[in-house]
Amino acid sequence: MSVAGDISTGAPRLHLSQDMQQLLYRLLAAGLLCVALSIATDAFFTTNNILNVLRQASLLFFLASGLTLVILTGGLDLSVGANIGLSACLAATVIKATGSPVLGTLTGLTAGCAVGICNGLMVAKLRIPSFIATYGMLWVLHGITYYYMAGETIHGFPPGFRQIGSGYFLGIPIPVYLMVGFLVAGTLFAQRTVWGQQIYAIGANPVAARLTGIPVDRRLILVYAFSGAMAGVASIVFLARLNSAEGDIGEAMTLPAIAAVLIGGASLFGGVGSVFGTFVGALILTLVLNGMNLLAVNASWQPLVTGVIVIFAVWLDMVGRRRS
Amino acid sequence: MRAVMAKTPRLELAAPAIPGTPLLELKGISKTFPGVKALDDVSFAVWPGEVHMLLGENGAGKSSLMKVLCGAYQADAGEYFHAGAPVEIRSPADARRLGIAVIFQEFSLVPYLDVAQNIFLGREFPSKIPGLVDRRRLYREAKAVLDRIGLDVDPRTKVHTLGVAQQQMVEIAKALSQDARILVMDEPTAALSDRETERLFEVMRQLQAKGVAIVYISHRMAEVFALGDRITVLRDGKLVGRALPGETTPDELVRMMVGRNVDMTYPRRFATEPGEVVLEVTGLCAKNGIADITLKLRAGEIVGLCGLVGSGRTEVARAIFGADEVTAGEIRLFGKPKTGGPDVAAFAGVGLIPESRKTEGLALIRTVSDNLAVAGLPKLFPNMMFSPGKARRSAEELIKRLRIATPSPNQSVAVLSGGNQQKVVIGKWLAAGTRLFIFDEPTRGIDVGAKSEIFALIDQLVADGAAVLMISSEQAEIVHVCDRAYVMRAKRIVGELGRADLSEENIVRMGMHDE
Amino acid sequence: MSDQALSSAPARLRIPAVPGVAVALAGLAVLFSALSPGFLTAGNLSNILVQSVILLLLALPMTLIIMTEGLDLSMGAVLTLASLVLALIVVSTQSLVLGLAGALGVGLAFGLVNGWLVSVLSIPPFVATLGTMGAAQGLALIVSDGQSVVGIPRFIRQVYSGEVAGIPTPILIGAGFYALFHVLLYHTRFGTYICALGGNRDALTLAGVKWKRLLIAAYMLGGAMAGVAALLMTARMNSGHPTAAIGMEFDAIAAVALGGTSFEKGNGWIFGTLMGVLTVGVLRNGLNLLAVPSSVQVACIGALVIFALFLDGMRSHKS
Repeated sequence: MSVAGDISTGAPRLHLSQDMQQLLYRLLAAGLLCVALSIATDAFFTTNNILNVLRQASLLFFLASGLTLVILTGGLDLSVGANIGLSACLAATVIKATGSPVLGTLTGLTAGCAVGICNGLMVAKLRIPSFIATYGMLWVLHGITYYYMAGETIHGFPPGFRQIGSGYFLGIPIPVYLMVGFLVAGTLFAQRTVWGQQIYAIGANPVAARLTGIPVDRRLILVYAFSGAMAGVASIVFLARLNSAEGDIGEAMTLPAIAAVLIGGASLFGGVGSVFGTFVGALILTLVLNGMNLLAVNASWQPLVTGVIVIFAVWLDMVGRRRS
Repeated sequence: MRAVMAKTPRLELAAPAIPGTPLLELKGISKTFPGVKALDDVSFAVWPGEVHMLLGENGAGKSSLMKVLCGAYQADAGEYFHAGAPVEIRSPADARRLGIAVIFQEFSLVPYLDVAQNIFLGREFPSKIPGLVDRRRLYREAKAVLDRIGLDVDPRTKVHTLGVAQQQMVEIAKALSQDARILVMDEPTAALSDRETERLFEVMRQLQAKGVAIVYISHRMAEVFALGDRITVLRDGKLVGRALPGETTPDELVRMMVGRNVDMTYPRRFATEPGEVVLEVTGLCAKNGIADITLKLRAGEIVGLCGLVGSGRTEVARAIFGADEVTAGEIRLFGKPKTGGPDVAAFAGVGLIPESRKTEGLALIRTVSDNLAVAGLPKLFPNMMFSPGKARRSAEELIKRLRIATPSPNQSVAVLSGGNQQKVVIGKWLAAGTRLFIFDEPTRGIDVGAKSEIFALIDQLVADGAAVLMISSEQAEIVHVCDRAYVMRAKRIVGELGRADLSEENIVRMGMHDE
Repeated sequence: MSDQALSSAPARLRIPAVPGVAVALAGLAVLFSALSPGFLTAGNLSNILVQSVILLLLALPMTLIIMTEGLDLSMGAVLTLASLVLALIVVSTQSLVLGLAGALGVGLAFGLVNGWLVSVLSIPPFVATLGTMGAAQGLALIVSDGQSVVGIPRFIRQVYSGEVAGIPTPILIGAGFYALFHVLLYHTRFGTYICALGGNRDALTLAGVKWKRLLIAAYMLGGAMAGVAALLMTARMNSGHPTAAIGMEFDAIAAVALGGTSFEKGNGWIFGTLMGVLTVGVLRNGLNLLAVPSSVQVACIGALVIFALFLDGMRSHKS
């Protein structure tokens, strides 16, 4: 038997603690950010502001968590922002028409999920690269939404419904509870179910995954459906918070969501990443943007800062993995 | 024992008495990577017009030596001499200037450029208009080189449309156009049919006649003895022996490569009575080109599937497994008809061990434990809830049972040796409760020492009641291991050989001629 | 492993059999001619060409970048920033040359950063250009303070609306750059190496070619073309606007993908890109003539991209 030890990769490395390490570094970064911001401004460490940060982070997290599963398979879903728009407008219409927030919520979730399934079908069955398929879908959704809304706004929802976005329970905003719930559910799904393990396998090597008996097509449709469904969740919370629906809701959320996933340590090539990592990534991004707001930095700097953080996080990640 | 083998005086004196100075000589070359000494004080000389065989297991240092020769790696220590004069090889350009050309197994061709562009990559001819390439001259010169080796291909052809054999010829043309005097070839016949191999040897003979030296890396003993003028053996980065083909035997060479006596008798306990019918294929046709395939497998049998490269064996395996779409015919697994893709097959108890295990059998970025668990997930966890503890325990059991050499189940599977990686692929199917194993070239790329372990494993599988369908291009393997074999030619089955008729000659004869 | 026929069939220019984009382009042209009498007039066709030029200027270098297995998501934002810078300079100095220099400077600077991130730091192009896109967007907002820049002198507008020998200037500019890129890709060593960068980078290393600087050059070329396109865009809109071209890089990527250039292996086709750009242009124009609301137009473009790629995907699976 030959000695293990491939010449090109050098010394063997321990796989698991590597991922743990990366997560810890990120948590540390988030912690340091909090400390730095508390020092930089008094306005940071107030109950109000912390709750605000958590609420903002949760909106971002809803979208990013679904995206995480897609990115884990090595794909991309560029349509999530537009998906929010369509789902929100449809849900709003139903709420107004039937007066029932429950029906509206169901509509939003179903619409989001349906869009996701379409994406999944395009990627899995029609074999269109996810980048292009979801980009095309983005345009289709935009078109439908704008045409449908015809420039108008729907507003004024029942107060019970609005609680989802603006309400508090035990002093903590409701979206935060939802975030924790989805964080736990998402992590359980990815790490503790057979489907989750199969998704990681697909991302690591789609050809081998298929030849190992994993029903790749079905799982791909599943992850895109999830991504769409989470866009649906985000759309409901948006609606509840903004108390109005317009054609361009959520448009600007796609790229920050992708950024959160990348900052959280997921690899664009698939097979690497975690829902918890995305949570930390969303937290970091939101903290930075919040800090910028509090320090009265011109909001125009935000896209730039987001961009720089993403590059930096990915670079750090690469350097860290290469060294071992 | 090792020391005695390495220092046998007879082998040391085997450096032939060829007159004149060697074309290229390396003295005391060493190359170290973090944690591994790839080359350790290797001295090596090449004479014009000779075919110098370079042997060694995976990891012995052959590819490092090649990379050092072509300037892709720089040696940490040692000297180079070209026709007696000291030189340096610090870059690919240096190597090229000395007339060294290396043809790697994966080829250094750009698929969407044409033949001429590939031949002259980096050395394009400037036209009179500054900045532009003189394309007419490019194609003219390319045609001239192609004619020299007798390759009848339009130089404007995009390389990706060419077959493997032709691509290899393009690589040789590339080397020739650089006035290569030393050609290094890595397993050149691995992907060639017999006819193409003959063509290659023709060209090699032509080159030899012109004084070009060829350094030839191969695992195929038949080639080593048929073509080689001299043999050098590496092991663990060191030079452990030199020999002349007329004065040594394959067993001795294997001993030098492995460092110990290797029992190459294939371990096999032939069952007296095969069990129930596990697989029954009738009139199978598939989109990948196979036609009218009919075969049968019983529990406890190892059935071979042989034929020349391109005869359709892998296609049959893939069609049975569901990886390629079936267009006609029937497959019955364990008595029940089977339709559908690989997920259906896997659940029904079939496992495929593909030829390219790194790209099709393993997820290299994941751990040994992950890879061992992945096929058996639905069986290990029927309620769909995954438990890392149970997966790890299952992995540990498999590691022990299959004797997979890895420091821990959490080791990345990428750093395992070829033989151990293959064991992981087999192991994953064991975890899935597989009863029918389809092997496609089970010992491809596996060191001599590990091969018999793999066969012992396969033998144990059928002893435990499974059935095995084995594709192999090594006739000796089929003959020694299989109960019987089907022979394929041109995507069809042309015959079946029972135990009594199973011989290398019969396999080759059936696979080649109209019978 | 299946044998391939040992034929020596020559493949001339790389023209795939009836590519999806040709079907889409022809189909749309026929459809709109039938639905709109005004479609097939010289004036309208000229309109289509003029309106497609800006996208073409972005899609041409994007083709090269995609051939290297890369991507440039920052092009739209860089174009916006460059157009703002150009507008500001021109308004204050009344000099076309200085304005163009400013735009080119912005483009080249971002191209350099992109190239360096991808080539030296080995950051995946998607991530690197996503970052620089954010940076350019941010700078555009800051530089313009969120406002449009107006008061563009007439000679700038002439660049878009003027004519030379009866042919609208933009078409000449477009044709000129198309010819330039054609020569660049098929007649220079740079073009050969771009193809190799995507097809087999190791082959270049072994051939002794220093490809890192070529990769940087490819991204800088993209930035420079964004600078040139900035001139045309400012001229067309008669103002500099901070969110003008956001998202245009996706249109460029779609046009390139429509045209048959694949995202791996260095398989690129400039003429295909041209057809892709024209297809998008025809679609927009035809829908406009039919007074289809722009929202629906947008949906149609999305469906079109999916359709063309689906066709291409089907064909490549058959072979």
